[in-house]
Amino acid sequence: MDFSNLANALTFANLALALFGVIAGTVIGSIPGLSATMAVAVLVPITFAMAPASALIMLGAIYTGAIYGGAYSAILLNTPGTPSAIATTFDGYPMAKRGDGDLAVAIACYASVTGGMIGALALLLLAPPLSQVALAFGPVEYLWLSIFGLSLIASLSTGNVLKGLTGGALGLLLSCVGVAEISADIRLTFGSSTLIGGIEVVGALIGLYCIPVLIDLVATPERHLKVEEEVRAVRFREGARIAWGSRFNLIRSSVIGTVIGILPGAGGSVAGLVAYSEAKRTAKPGQKFGEGEPDGIMATESANNATVGGGFIPTLVLGIPGTPPDAVILGALLVQGVRTGPALFDGGGSIVYTFIFGLFIATILMLPTGLLIGRYAYKTIVTIPKTILVPAVGFMTIIGTFAIRNSISDVIIMITLGAIGWVLSRFGFAASPIVLGLILGPIAEQGFVQAWIIGEATGNLTGMFFGRPISLAIIAFTILSLLYPLVQSRRAKRLIKMQAGSND
Amino acid sequence: MTDAVPAKSRKDIGTLVIASLLVAIGLLTLYDTTGYSDSDSIVFPTFVAYALILGSLTVIIHCWLRPNPELGFGTGDWWRRLLLVASMIVACLVMPFSGFLPATAIAFAGSLVAARHEGWDVKSALVFALSGAVIMAGFYVLFRFALSVPLP
Repeated sequence: MDFSNLANALTFANLALALFGVIAGTVIGSIPGLSATMAVAVLVPITFAMAPASALIMLGAIYTGAIYGGAYSAILLNTPGTPSAIATTFDGYPMAKRGDGDLAVAIACYASVTGGMIGALALLLLAPPLSQVALAFGPVEYLWLSIFGLSLIASLSTGNVLKGLTGGALGLLLSCVGVAEISADIRLTFGSSTLIGGIEVVGALIGLYCIPVLIDLVATPERHLKVEEEVRAVRFREGARIAWGSRFNLIRSSVIGTVIGILPGAGGSVAGLVAYSEAKRTAKPGQKFGEGEPDGIMATESANNATVGGGFIPTLVLGIPGTPPDAVILGALLVQGVRTGPALFDGGGSIVYTFIFGLFIATILMLPTGLLIGRYAYKTIVTIPKTILVPAVGFMTIIGTFAIRNSISDVIIMITLGAIGWVLSRFGFAASPIVLGLILGPIAEQGFVQAWIIGEATGNLTGMFFGRPISLAIIAFTILSLLYPLVQSRRAKRLIKMQAGSND
Repeated sequence: MTDAVPAKSRKDIGTLVIASLLVAIGLLTLYDTTGYSDSDSIVFPTFVAYALILGSLTVIIHCWLRPNPELGFGTGDWWRRLLLVASMIVACLVMPFSGFLPATAIAFAGSLVAARHEGWDVKSALVFALSGAVIMAGFYVLFRFALSVPLP
């Protein structure tokens, strides 16, 4: 590592690119439907004329900003701007509803910066050794990792675990709709041409999260968010104090996010959920996760931003993208003639290290810009009358969904899924397991089919699925994540019984 | 009404209906897989369909034994909910013929009427119509020209 690369990252041009990237990423990521992947993909063509290191700095900054930007709509509209912000809705929206949306946005910013810094530090120090762990993951491990993600969200989402798991299965099934990737069979379309293109994940995410909120908003005359009578100062200090008080949670969640980011395909959504689960598991007495607990936001936001640095480890060292935006960045690097792989750290190391320092700079820049944009985003959303907010968000869902694949079918699917999602949510089937099933479906199917083929060829199907040590460890974690809510509820019941007994 | 059913003995009909529909979706999937040519595209949907059927049946049993009568559609105006969804669907259906902006104007107007609970007068109608036009034009310019999305 040569510190002259730090000087390269600190040039005026690179600083300006990092600033532009963070702002553009934050704004795009905050719009429901425009994911971090889309933010990076839309702006990639701008970077083709740049030097590789500068292009990487800008794309990394866009990615970092977009992951943080996803928290705005998650907190203020209960609609995660990006899949990584799914778990941010659990406590962010309840905080916004009780009038603490500005505080939630500030906390999300501090957590995102902390996570981003720890992820970038891991990229700087641990890239080569940690990438070896990811190499040990085969198709079965990816299958179990997907099921682990689903079990986590089923046990975390509102409603009961059974409904969560059923919703997850429905999501996995929805991911099969359309033309099969492996054999080109047309599956589950039942003759409908609208369904042939499959269900686009981001469109489905917009529908399942955004449309139910709009349906609820129009039904009653109540305001969408609680507005405080007195005008308060910016709650930077209060947010910083809360974040400092939960520094252990921040560091732990950032480490979780970094490790999960290294596993190809897992990404910010799984990282956020695992970190949230861990924060909930170790909650102090009196902390009410799911009802507006700041620690929940900090866990999710630090973890999902840590996946940025973590995800770059397999991307740069192995050429395997850690997350979907990494895949776009990898493509941009290939266009520029940069070959990723272990040699990149030796021969062309200056590009990598200049980029890593650029990522640090972009993350630091996110603190002032994020707080400032967050403050205005909160004030704007909170003061807009519901009469204009609902049609504006509705319009954004249509244009955002259309823009993904230029398809009207995707918009129709988005609205239909949203209406179905509203009915399901009214009867305890939360949207999050369905969405995660849809996201993890292709990864799980690939793992399942490959393991099935290998298992059949070797005549050891059971051993293939249940005989590998890493698989067994993930299965154990899956069972634990499903049993934990049961144990917790029994413990709570016993406590209530004991308290009732002592009162008598 | 003196013969109202006590909350505890009421069944959670909504959950039972939804879970039954999910069982039907699972069975439909199993039927659909019989028409695929390659076994590679059959194994995963079959596995998931069985998981969905098993999960839904467990939900039905759980719901039957321990119903949660608090679940339901809640209060609120149904016509507003329906107007919101219907105006968005209509916008999608007319979009290929009318173009993006006129079609989304239908969705915008429908949502505006659905969301407004305070009543209408000429001034408020003009203000909201103008605000709507500015928002739609702004996003149209952003997507059509800055992001080069080929909006119809």
